[in-house]
Parts: sequence; C-alpha cells; structure tokens
Amino acid sequence: MTDIKTNTSDQEILEQMTVDKTRAFNQGLTPLHPPQKSLIRLRAAIRAAIVLILAVVGEYFLQRELHLPGGYLIGVAVFFALISVLILPHRIYRRWGYDMGTEQLRVLRGFLWRTDTIVPFNRIQHLDVAQGPLQRSFGLSTLIVHTAGTHNSIVILPGLATADAENMREVIKGHIRHDMI
Amino acid sequence: MNDIAPDIEQQPDITDSETPFRHLHPLSIILKSTSVLGRNIILIGVLYFSLFDQNIFYTSLAALLIVALVIAITTLIWSRFSYQVSTKEVRIKSGLLNRNNRSIPFERIQDVSLEQKLVSRLLGLTTVKFETGSGGGEDGKLDALKLEDGEKLRDTIRDFKSGNTSSEAENFQPPDLQKKPPLFTMDNRRILIAGFFNFSFILLAVLGTIAQNLDFLIPPEFFDPRNWIETVSGVNGINGLSMTARIGGAIVAIGSLIAIGVLSGIVRTFIREYGFRLDQVDTGQPGFRRRRGLFTLTDMVMPIHRVQAAIISTGPVREFFGWYDLKFQSLAGDQGGQTDHSAAPCARPEEIDPIISETQISKMPDDIEFQRVDQAFWWRDAVIIWLVLKIAALSLGFFLHEGFFALIMLAFPLIVLSYLNWRHHQYAMTNTQIFVRSSWWNRKLTILPLRKIQTVDVSQSPLDHPLDLATVTIGVAGGSALSPLKIMDIEADAAKALRYRLLPA
Repeated sequence: MTDIKTNTSDQEILEQMTVDKTRAFNQGLTPLHPPQKSLIRLRAAIRAAIVLILAVVGEYFLQRELHLPGGYLIGVAVFFALISVLILPHRIYRRWGYDMGTEQLRVLRGFLWRTDTIVPFNRIQHLDVAQGPLQRSFGLSTLIVHTAGTHNSIVILPGLATADAENMREVIKGHIRHDMI
Repeated sequence: MNDIAPDIEQQPDITDSETPFRHLHPLSIILKSTSVLGRNIILIGVLYFSLFDQNIFYTSLAALLIVALVIAITTLIWSRFSYQVSTKEVRIKSGLLNRNNRSIPFERIQDVSLEQKLVSRLLGLTTVKFETGSGGGEDGKLDALKLEDGEKLRDTIRDFKSGNTSSEAENFQPPDLQKKPPLFTMDNRRILIAGFFNFSFILLAVLGTIAQNLDFLIPPEFFDPRNWIETVSGVNGINGLSMTARIGGAIVAIGSLIAIGVLSGIVRTFIREYGFRLDQVDTGQPGFRRRRGLFTLTDMVMPIHRVQAAIISTGPVREFFGWYDLKFQSLAGDQGGQTDHSAAPCARPEEIDPIISETQISKMPDDIEFQRVDQAFWWRDAVIIWLVLKIAALSLGFFLHEGFFALIMLAFPLIVLSYLNWRHHQYAMTNTQIFVRSSWWNRKLTILPLRKIQTVDVSQSPLDHPLDLATVTIGVAGGSALSPLKIMDIEADAAKALRYRLLPA
C-alpha cells in the first residue's frame, strides 16, 4: 500500500525510501503515537512490581521453611523486571506499524511471532474506538475493527493518538458496506 | 445479533393492526413438557433412591407433582408467548416476568428452516427457525407450529423477498412445485456407500474406553475370558490354548470392532442423510433447498449469495473409488454443530460440477497448476518429531522401563504422515479465485472467490525466521475458527506477493 500512496515525483527519494523501508524495524509503516512506548513501559512496570512482590514473598518462605541461601529468586525477578521495563518497551514499540491505504488498513506487529494483517475497508462490519483509564492519561486510543471473518474477526490497533483514531474511524466508516454477507 | 431486536415501541401497530398475535400450536405444550421431563427423569430416579428410601408410593406422588408442575409452567410460558406475522416483519412476544418484544424484519432474515423431530412429525408439527446472519445460531424460533402454518410462513417471507407481497401466501403449496429436477439426490444405495466411508475410529476409541471403564458395573469375572473358557470347555486357563486359537481370538475381536464401526457409520449416515434432496429455488434470491433426515426431517434454505466458499473433501480410499463430499461454507452453521453446509455428501465429480456452477463460484480450470509449499513443511516437523520422541524415549526408557525405548519407532509413521501432508498441501490461483488443497487423510480442496476474503495475515513464527518462510492465513466468514484457511510455509517474499494478489487494492 505504501508504494501506491507515495508520490512518484522524485525517483531518488523513492529509492531511498524503499531502502529505508527494508531497514526499518516496522518496514517503514506509520509508527504508533510515541506516548504508547511510555504506556507499554508503565504496564511492564506494573507487571514487574507484581512479580517482584511475589518473589519477595516466595523468598521469605523459602528461607524460613527450607533455609536456602537467599537472593536467587529475587535476583532472577529483578533481572527480568529490569529487562522488561528498560529494554523491551522500546523494542516492542518499534516493531509495531500501521498503514492507512486508500482502500485498506495494514497492521504489522511482533518480532519473534510476526504478524502482518491487511483488512480491506469494505469488508469491515463495524468499528470501535476504545480507551482505558491508563490510555486516557496518555491521550491514546485503540482502534478496533470487526470483520465478518471467523479467523481474525477482530483486528486491534492500539496506541493511536485519540484524534488520529477518530479520524481513521471517520475515513473507514465511509467505506463500510452493509450487504457483504 | 443485537441489531435485530430494535426498539419496537417506535413502530406501533398502525400498519398491521388486523393481523392478530397468535399462539403456538397447543400441542407444543406436550412436546416441550415431554422434552423437559425426559431431561429430568434422572432426578426422579435419584429421589426414589435417596429421599424416599425406595418407597414407590411417595416416589410416584412426587413424580406426579413434578409432571404437573412442568406442564403448568410450560403452559404458562406458552400462554405468554405469541407471534405476529405482518406483511413485512415477524414479531415475537415472550417471557413470564421479563417481557421480551422482538421484531425481525423480513428483509433481515437470511435463512428460514423447518425442522421436524420424530415426535413433531407424528403430531404434524414443525419448528421454524429464523436466521439473520451475524454470529451463529438462530435468532428467532417458533417451536412449534402446524406444518402448513410453518410452510405458509416460510413462503410469505420468501415471497416478500421476491418482491411480490401479494396474496400469494394464501395458497399452501410448498415451493418445490416449480417443476425442476433436483440438483442432487441420494438413493439408499448411495447412502449405503456414504455410510461405508463414515467409518469412525473415534467411535471405536469411545467404545473401547467404555468397555474398559464399565467393569465396575459388571462383575469382574464377566470380562475375563478365562472364566468363560473354563465354563464352556473346562480347559484350564488361557495358557492352555494353542497359539492359533489365541491369534484367532484376537482377529475375531478386532474384526467385530471394525464391524461395529462400519455398521454404526452406516446407521448414522442413514439417520442423517435419508431422502437427501438438494433443489435449486429462486423465489426472490436464488438459493439451495436441502431436505434430509430419517427421524428428524430438516428442510433448509440457503441463499446462494451467502455461500462464501466451496469445500470438496475426500479421503485416500474414497478418492480411489471416486467419491467426493461437497460442502458450502456459509456464515451460519449447519445443524449438529457442523460449520459448513453439506450440499452433496457422496457424489461423483460430474455431479458436483453442476451444483457448484449454480453458485457464483466457478469450477477449477483443467489447466490450472498447483504450487507446492516449501519442503521445510515436512522436514522441519520431522526434525522436531525426532527430537521430542528421542528425548521422551531415552528419559522414560532409562528411568522407568526399557520398553519405552520403542517410543522412537513412532517417529517413522509420523514423519511419513507429515511428508504425505506436504505432498497434499498445494495452492493455485486464478484472477478471481484461490484453490487450496490440504492434508493427506482428510483431503480438502477449498475454492474461495477473492471477493469473499475478509482479511489476510502474513505471519512468521520464530522457526520461520532462519528459513525466511511465512504462513498466509485468509480470514473468511463462517467456517471453523480453529482451522482457518492457511497456506503454510511459503517463502516470505512469495507470501507478500500472494497477499497483494489476494487483495488487489
């Protein structure tokens, strides 16, 4: 879709873009709204805090009941907490990408388990723009697209600026057909 | 599904005040009550043994009370359930305390099906089910009406859709009086053939498990062959039997199990498919009408525009004899939890082609070339199977029993199976359709028009990255959510190219 959208006026820019595209982590698609990275980090921090608390409790019982030398459980938990809060959010964020084509929406996500979904606008049954309390504080929204397909009946695109999500909804709404099935 | 029950109060009965609200047929009370009682018969048994201490008088008194209660409640529900068929919608009022007022406009009704269970058939009743699309299951159900009322209702809706809202609905003629020959029928001989291929290993496994687990019901000596042999011939124990006798016994046992499997397959097929008849109907929208069933007669109409894909399946043996099974994938599921609508359970290719040509799906061009997927499809599985089995065999063999070393022998058939599956996983494309074959045992050919594609995924798992492979998953309306249409393990670039061809922008 990006190929069609790009303006073919300047050949060199186009070539440079295709080179960049293959290099980029999300194949040169539109990245999510930057606060999404902070949101991913916040969620990771909450999860890490829960794991740390569990680790402390577990450590306490291990030392009291089994008299094992301390620190292993907490050490491992701290290690994974640091990775998931400091390193992973950036890496998860940069693998996300989306592209609003003229006729279809493309959503790219994941690295190890990578999925690249295309939904033509005219196959979309209905749309949601959803926002949770955490998302609201970052000014983010999730665009949820429902299709009639049994597989992939819901395509979720999180981390959009609320205004963008609403614009996208309006654009897609104009393409919805009612007589598909 | 929520959108079919709009607020009816917005539309008062100005238009159709003359059509009265009607109740279901009174006999449906008996029908409902018996089915409720049938489900609660265990309760009475439990009461007999526990609370009433096997006192037959109290038990029958309680049973009478339960019967009276069930009938009373069913009658109450019946009296509060009424429906109205106006010129453009069906309205259903129901509910004892929470009144529910549902309106189903004719134009939203996709399928009307009539179903007659055995008891309903004896009483001349039928259950009418409406389906409005979006999600599975029926959205309106009238259980039960007099057969001719049901047929009249169906014809009213069909006539509305064909645009003639005239008094055509007055005559009670079933719509198959358009003197067209049926598209496909199955005589008893054909059903017998279909039954042979309906042989079920699963049923055998279930029977075997039951036989193993039911011994608590039967005295332990019952299943002990030694006991029987001693009783019959006085030979002292099975050890005294000759080798041939033992092998013969095993063969008889296996043979009888297979016979049960074949026989039950035939019986089940007869019950489901008896009198199978597929017609083309075109009042309003062109559609298929299918009638079948020995005890439970079903009469289903499916509009052709709802057909998403055609699925032609067969098996290694069936294909050898030239029999194929045609199903249509549609948003609504078929009866009995089937995800696809059976259109010709056992047919020759030359019988299938005319049925497919009635839909907007065109049959496979003769010169089409199928492409195989990457060889990694089988050798990667082979490596994984080998490793897993080796680890399992070695660890169990060393630590538990030497017999477990033999586990590694399982690898051979599994790898062969995965190789055969690779050979049967192929795909091909024309400008308007994609053809996907899959699996060696359950051979399946899916014919999908490109315009019915909802979404396309290109996905890569961690094992795909080093080989630069990808799997294309095609989202289609209807069908099974567990096994979507997939083209596995093709090169990543080929997958992307395929996706652009599947969804031409």
